[in-house]
Amino acid sequence: MNPTETNHFSMSEVDASCRVPLLALFGGAALWLVAGLALSLAAIMTFHKPDMFADCPFLAYGRAQAAANDLLLYGFCIPAGLGVMLWIFSRLSQSELVLPLVPVVAANIWHLGVLVGTVAILIGDSTGFAWLEFPRGSSVLLFAAFLLIAVSAVATFGARRNRELYPSHWFLLAALFWFPWIYSTTNLFLITHHPVRGVAQAVIDSWFSNNLVFVWLALVGVGTAFYFLPKLAGRPLQSRYLALFAFWTLILFGAWCGVPQGAPLPAWMPAASAVASSFLIVPLIAIAVIACKTVCGANVTCKGGPFCYVKFGTAAFILSGLMLVASACPQISRATEFTWFGPAQAQLQILGFFAIVMCGAIYELLPRVMGFVLPFPKFVRLQHWLFMLGIVLWAGSLAVGGVEQGMKLNNPQTAFADSTAVALIFLRAGTTGLLLILLGSLLFAANVLAMTLKWKLALLKSLLAAVKAPLEAAPASASLRRDQEVKS
Amino acid sequence: MNDEAKSNCPTGTGGEPSATQSTVPMWIFIVTLLLLFVGAVYFDHHSGWFNAKVYSPYVSAEQLELYQPKSGAAAAAAQGKKVYETVCGICHGVDGMGKPNQAPPLAGSEWVTGGFHRLAQIPLNGLNGSLQVEGKDWNLNMAPMGANLSDADLAAVLTYIRTSWGNKAGAVSADDVKAVRAVVAGHPAISAAQLKDLPE
Amino acid sequence: MKNGFSVFLAVFIALGLSWCGFVLGSVKQLGTAKQAAVLNSSDTYPLQRTGNATLGSQVYRANGCAACHTEQVRQDGVVCDVVLTAAGKKPTVVSNLVSTLKLTGLTREEADAVSDKIAAAGGSVETHIVASGADIARGWGIRRSVAADYLYDHPVQLGSLRAGPDLANVGARFPDLNWQLVHLYAPQAVVKNSAMPPFRFLFEVRKINLGGASSPDALQFPKDFAPPAGCEVVPSPEAKQLAAYLLSLKADAPLYEAPFTPVMTKP
Repeated sequence: MNPTETNHFSMSEVDASCRVPLLALFGGAALWLVAGLALSLAAIMTFHKPDMFADCPFLAYGRAQAAANDLLLYGFCIPAGLGVMLWIFSRLSQSELVLPLVPVVAANIWHLGVLVGTVAILIGDSTGFAWLEFPRGSSVLLFAAFLLIAVSAVATFGARRNRELYPSHWFLLAALFWFPWIYSTTNLFLITHHPVRGVAQAVIDSWFSNNLVFVWLALVGVGTAFYFLPKLAGRPLQSRYLALFAFWTLILFGAWCGVPQGAPLPAWMPAASAVASSFLIVPLIAIAVIACKTVCGANVTCKGGPFCYVKFGTAAFILSGLMLVASACPQISRATEFTWFGPAQAQLQILGFFAIVMCGAIYELLPRVMGFVLPFPKFVRLQHWLFMLGIVLWAGSLAVGGVEQGMKLNNPQTAFADSTAVALIFLRAGTTGLLLILLGSLLFAANVLAMTLKWKLALLKSLLAAVKAPLEAAPASASLRRDQEVKS
Repeated sequence: MNDEAKSNCPTGTGGEPSATQSTVPMWIFIVTLLLLFVGAVYFDHHSGWFNAKVYSPYVSAEQLELYQPKSGAAAAAAQGKKVYETVCGICHGVDGMGKPNQAPPLAGSEWVTGGFHRLAQIPLNGLNGSLQVEGKDWNLNMAPMGANLSDADLAAVLTYIRTSWGNKAGAVSADDVKAVRAVVAGHPAISAAQLKDLPE
Repeated sequence: MKNGFSVFLAVFIALGLSWCGFVLGSVKQLGTAKQAAVLNSSDTYPLQRTGNATLGSQVYRANGCAACHTEQVRQDGVVCDVVLTAAGKKPTVVSNLVSTLKLTGLTREEADAVSDKIAAAGGSVETHIVASGADIARGWGIRRSVAADYLYDHPVQLGSLRAGPDLANVGARFPDLNWQLVHLYAPQAVVKNSAMPPFRFLFEVRKINLGGASSPDALQFPKDFAPPAGCEVVPSPEAKQLAAYLLSLKADAPLYEAPFTPVMTKP
């Protein structure tokens, strides 16, 4: 496929070395994506029929929604991101994945942690902190698994023959350092026997949520996009220095966003976040310029393939970033705070941007890694339409509904019930979008799992053939001897 | 498989993407600097400069101080009660009944309900020697417990003891306390004998 | 950027700066806070929750109530109202003057000017500080929420979505235990058009004991929502704890950082 042989390893060897780790990560991720979206759908049903889970504590909205969010983030986003990162590092290093068994073990530990955490939330053991509801035992598993994968990734990065770094290296490496720091800090300050006292907990939780959901997903997603956009467009990335500028401004300014404007905190904290969020326009512009300049003028027809996924995802990222900037602006936050606008931005970031970029990346790399084509190639294009339409409906309706709700909330003359009533029609439209995304995710899972099965069957067949071969030779020689005996 | 694979002209070594070396456009730096300036101005105006007590809508510690409810009569009484309980009540009792060998009662005391010029000097300068209060003899030493209180706080506590526990005397204002303080500043503790002769 | 180490350095600087600001800064400024003094009073605030209310905060956390409810009141501004306390020796002059002046919704400087004018005419006035904002106008609170309100909470559950009303002062707005329990069991029974899901799993519906005396814990329902005849609805321990926690939610003490003049409500 890629013909050069001047390297230490051929590209197909590089791809093949990633096979088992990536399957371990992606298989679980695909299942968690479906489960997370299904749980999200169950949760949102509470708004359409409040009575639905009145007798079932496990699916009460507060529990189901928290579990769904965490499943999407920790169950799908992070493993998928890490898997794509491992492959990009091996490719850019032109070296086989170093320590390939470590990510396999780590993937299993990670998925176990996610399972334990989700069950804990549903039975009532959540920590109560947004985006950090997994209890302590689960956090330890996730942290350990992440570190193990990071070891393999950094080792693969270190094995590169071309010492110059490509822009994706900066973004992806930064993500490897970012997560352990924010995760360990937050767990140590909040989920211990002597947590920090009072509203400082809320500040640290907001800091963590922003740094994980916005900055970490941005680092991995943009790093991935900066790899795939030039590769699929057949043009170089435009340009290295602008990407460096985008990287620095993203991490410097992005880390300070996240504290809500109306929060019960001394004025400097919301003010710092508001200022940092306004600065965030700069990396957004830079990334948009890079993406546009790289993509425009490429004569590639997309047809619902991975290129379309990555392009749409990058556009969704810019939009979600702009929503973040808007919601931190004090005049606008008065209307959007505490409404569905916030969840809309988070869902656009997680599903519209990250999930779509990852699905595109996985569809592009998985056939190369496995060595055969996708079992259901038509699903790629179908899923593309389901996802795009679904996210426009889901995030778009929530956003508009949130603004409507906020304007009613801000007017003390209107009854509170009016604000919830006006949001309901938008929730209905959004639920339809969520259903479409769920269907798309089923197609994705079908492809990934079918590939895994096909590979495992092929492995089993070759194993059986290796065992049978000497046995088949034995009866042939035995019958030959018998003939000889009969003759004599 | 995918159309993209066919049109995928390798642009770097081994088909991996590469990046151009074009420079960063100048306008993005200008936008960044402008935003930094606007942001700094906003932070200056709205942050309260890291003060832990300044919450929005207040923008500075001075403005917050300006909007503190200044005492009305009820607020002053509440303040006087608070000061009394922290400073005076330990010896004179929270109920104003005094404690034997510690402090005489204030409830029904003629020294409390008399003139405030004389009363104010007791906490300002201290008192020693034998004194008759409500027909009983008290021979103790009192330190100048009010010397470190602000005029407003001392006025509030004197008003409190003059209007509590059945005492019915007039309020004392911060200006009154200021005037008395100016007259007696630096004088030694008065003796009980001298107290009778002071103007009320 | 030349190598992996410089990427690590970049992350260290960027994340380190925000860690110092928001994590270290907030721990130093807010994490070591002690009780605050209530304005013009010798009380301290907040009081620690006891008993069922403390356990109730864990029920609140376990059921994710913060997914739909916030526990924070916002404030958009502060105004002064000038109130006449005594007419003084020339009541007609003072009342004529008062009728020409604006007395509510003033800034501090304006209020001082107005008070001086009235005092010069012989009347005595008090300036009341009043917090203003949409949340306050809705009756969800009398002042904004501040750090002191959450001193003893673990975890602090501020919430981020108002699919249901704010709860910072729900103990002051609905101080009746039975109301809180009925609202949890069947929200539509006590709040018309409520979108809240019922939490029936926190309760038990059972037959009234032979002999006819219903349990002292049994919920009292409004007319149309009573359970079938012969049955009663009894709260589980979790329901009672949650209701006790909700009743403990009051944030109405005036503090230095959120000042207002407490006004006696008419009986």
